[in-house]
Amino acid sequence: MFDSIINIIVVLLLLIGLFFMLAGTIGFVRFPDFYSRMHATGKCDTLGEGLMLFALIIYETGYEGLFKGDLQHALFVSIKIILLILFILLANPTSTHAIAKAAHDVGLQPWKKTDETQWIYDQDSETDKIINGGELK
Amino acid sequence: MVGIIQMQDIFLSVAVIIVIASFVSLYRGIEGPGIFNRIIAVNVIGTKTIVLLVLIGFIYGRPDFFDIALVYAILNFIMTIAATRY
Repeated sequence: MFDSIINIIVVLLLLIGLFFMLAGTIGFVRFPDFYSRMHATGKCDTLGEGLMLFALIIYETGYEGLFKGDLQHALFVSIKIILLILFILLANPTSTHAIAKAAHDVGLQPWKKTDETQWIYDQDSETDKIINGGELK
Repeated sequence: MVGIIQMQDIFLSVAVIIVIASFVSLYRGIEGPGIFNRIIAVNVIGTKTIVLLVLIGFIYGRPDFFDIALVYAILNFIMTIAATRY
């Protein structure tokens, strides 16, 4: 009874995290701009990974620790995964901010809805070749 | 257990779906215009790989994989910072 409740909670959290991760992937492939793609991947990183690792923590402490009785080992593993979540919550927004700032400094313009051409660049600048790989579009 | 299905089977199917999602985002890494899309693609695939490593550790019952996942997270972060610095 107790372990089946824990398992149902774990499966629900895993499915919600998987939904966020798949939505982030679809947004990453389908969105028209670099900045909006980065917006999609932020959800994928934070919510998807956080929820899935949290589900695994509940599984470890609840099922392996309390039900099977090896509590010390389970707490050790859980603290490791909590450290992993904390590091990811610190590092992923930092890296997202760094990428966005680098792109903004290089001169990548955001996508605008009014323009029919899907990419707006400075056509003459050297940075366009860096950004766009040489092919002006 | 949920009925007759073991929890390891659920973890295995979630891991397979994550692998498929990382291959989908590999498309943007190969095709996507410019270096920044490729950097984000590497970042996203690395994030998925961390969850995948923890799931593998649970599937096979080997807690060593959590250390590998931690080191992989640190390496992914340092790679992103170093790539965006220049």
